[in-house]
Amino acid sequence: MISVDISKCSGCKRCEANCSFFRTGKTGRSLSRIKVMKVEEIGVDFPVVCQLCKERFCTRCPNGAIQIGVLGQIIVSPTLCNACGLCERSCPIGAIELYQEIPYVCDLCGGDPQCIKECNLGALLFEPEKQGAVTIKKWNKRNKGLSPDEKRLKFILNQATQLRKEWILLRRT
Amino acid sequence: MIHGYAGKILRVDLTTGMVKTEKLDLDLALHTIGGRGMNSRRLYLELKKDVDPLSPESLLILGVGPLTGTYLTASAYFTFTAKSPLTGILGDSSAGGHFGPELKQAGYDQVIITGRSERPCYLLITQEKIEVRDASSLWGKDIWETSSAIRKMLRDPSVQISAIGPAGEHLVKYATIACNNSRMCGRTGMGCVMGSKNLKAIAVKGTGAVTLADTLKFLDLCKEVDRKIISHPEFEKRRNLGTTMLMTDLNRIGILPTRHFQQGVFEHVDEVSGETLAKRFKVKNKSCFNCNVHCSRYYITQEVEGEGPEFETLCSYSSRLGVSNLNFTLKMNAYLNRMGMDSVSSAEAIGWAIECIEKGLLGKGDFDGLDLRWGNTKAIEKLLTMITERQGIGDAFAEGTRSLAQRFGKGTEEYAFHVKGLDMICGDPRGIKAYGLTYAIASRGGDHLRAEPFFELTQRYEEAEKRFGTREAANRLSEKGKAALVDYSEKLALLIDCLTMCKNIGLCMDILDFETASELLIAGTGLQFTPERIDRGLKDQIDTDRKMNIGFGMDPSWDTLPRRFIREPLKEGPTRGCLINIDKMVKEYYQIKGWNKKGVPKK
Repeated sequence: MISVDISKCSGCKRCEANCSFFRTGKTGRSLSRIKVMKVEEIGVDFPVVCQLCKERFCTRCPNGAIQIGVLGQIIVSPTLCNACGLCERSCPIGAIELYQEIPYVCDLCGGDPQCIKECNLGALLFEPEKQGAVTIKKWNKRNKGLSPDEKRLKFILNQATQLRKEWILLRRT
Repeated sequence: MIHGYAGKILRVDLTTGMVKTEKLDLDLALHTIGGRGMNSRRLYLELKKDVDPLSPESLLILGVGPLTGTYLTASAYFTFTAKSPLTGILGDSSAGGHFGPELKQAGYDQVIITGRSERPCYLLITQEKIEVRDASSLWGKDIWETSSAIRKMLRDPSVQISAIGPAGEHLVKYATIACNNSRMCGRTGMGCVMGSKNLKAIAVKGTGAVTLADTLKFLDLCKEVDRKIISHPEFEKRRNLGTTMLMTDLNRIGILPTRHFQQGVFEHVDEVSGETLAKRFKVKNKSCFNCNVHCSRYYITQEVEGEGPEFETLCSYSSRLGVSNLNFTLKMNAYLNRMGMDSVSSAEAIGWAIECIEKGLLGKGDFDGLDLRWGNTKAIEKLLTMITERQGIGDAFAEGTRSLAQRFGKGTEEYAFHVKGLDMICGDPRGIKAYGLTYAIASRGGDHLRAEPFFELTQRYEEAEKRFGTREAANRLSEKGKAALVDYSEKLALLIDCLTMCKNIGLCMDILDFETASELLIAGTGLQFTPERIDRGLKDQIDTDRKMNIGFGMDPSWDTLPRRFIREPLKEGPTRGCLINIDKMVKEYYQIKGWNKKGVPKK
């Protein structure tokens, strides 16, 4: 899985730019499978990407278009997918999102994730042995009607609590 | 199919609420590239010369470059252009962050705003729709509150926003426009123009993507740019400190503006340096779109937190006003960012007042009884809030230092450090001669970014000989070869502004040259941006800006510096005894430009 060290992220979105560029030759957030959330009010930046979670909410696909690969990554079949959007609605942390009827989700670039390569702050770490290690069940509450972006925000606000405590401890005591 | 460029421009008339999308004129694009160049050209073509900058007929133009939002590192900027209400001549200001790339991804290269909305409004730009929306509930809110409120209203935490604060609403002449809360289009009062249009914010959601003509070639070029950045000798320093590194650097060579340019060395520099900021208050790096330097920072103090400050704000609210309390400087940075007001211009006005009191030209009574002294943070803070609100004497300060000094007269004009009405930035020209020349000739007034001739500080003597015909061009204290250096850097600075890329990387780190830019532009857009064509376009743009300014009523004799820098040598430090012979340098510059003796372009 790709793990995130939130304390190091500067919010440059280089991971986003790399993801979309190496997969499509274009740059645009919609085409990226990793999406950086910037919470300016509290200075927090956080790339949200598929955590290869224990629960695998997205695999409930009614068309069987979503499979799990050998690295634990999500693989979407373009032929079976009919863009119903259930996977997008199912993911509690907004790590899968449809754009022009195609679900965009991290597939670890087949084992060589491009986003990691350009993160020179060490905020992203590829841990190939880690699969199903993270549970995201607790984010699955009160999500109804939230957009993927809103789900991502909710997810990171919670994740940022610890970091904010550390910052305050460091600078205000 | 169009590449690099989005291919569309947007026209918005806030009086009628009419919006119109037009196709980008590719001939214009080839000639002016984009960003500042294209904005400036638009102003030249479409604005009536004698228009009041704050009238509805005035234009506010927002632009990005052909490579903005692409895979090119630090292609993150955007530019606002208008006739400046502060100076009465060409005004523009750029900022980084994430707003520029978002506008490109929303499908626009330029947005031209005219008219005046009857009620406060904000502009929403997405692929699907353009809407002028009511912003009555946002009026009065500061920039940070405004951004948060719009994101809540739209239920979209990732929408990118440029907004003005109370200073822009109150038409402070040096009000700013900010994106990402703290990335400022700081100079020449673009926020004042936006405020005059009753336009509180521009919110952009870009769900599209930027395409390239020759993707693989472009990738190769970008990788080469990245290699140059990462192997640059200053890379680590810039990543750790960003522009705040200049506090110590400028102090070391005796050109750190101290007590309103009375000194060039600040005895308390260690208390307010970039190093101290990093050690005591920084919690992490911040960054503009797709940058690998991450030169900005997030700080937390006992009282405030936020992103920044850059060198200009750090210096303006410390040594320039004799303040050695970094807590105060950071508090003012957060305040100015919230209120949307330029740090350089506001600090110059305050510094002028303090010096005038010190010299006995004016007294406390002239300033509503405020006890204005060097380092008196209470009085400085109070005055700043009065400027934002235009209360009492703050109303006169809000007009800018030139106008303020004219109002008081009595020889106080001599201490108003501006060129063409734009307050001088932090860097004493007596010890950096090419910078001095840049302030004097810059088409937006007393500012360094029109050329950013950083090269003169590099001591790369052999390279200087090769590029500018004399080793002296790399000697900061020499006036030789500086006109040639400024001519060269002025074009490069314009090119980088047209690409809306970062100048710290492009120019100060010497990463971008005309050949690389040409290759990037050709691979990015597929249009024939040969070095010759680029050079022709840039030269023409500089001449056109000059002609436009003369049309706005600028007298070429204003190409000079305040008296202090010409007549009063610094008394201590490594720049002791130095002056700048600005008139001679300006004449040499005219000659290189091919302008006549009065500084007017020949055709």
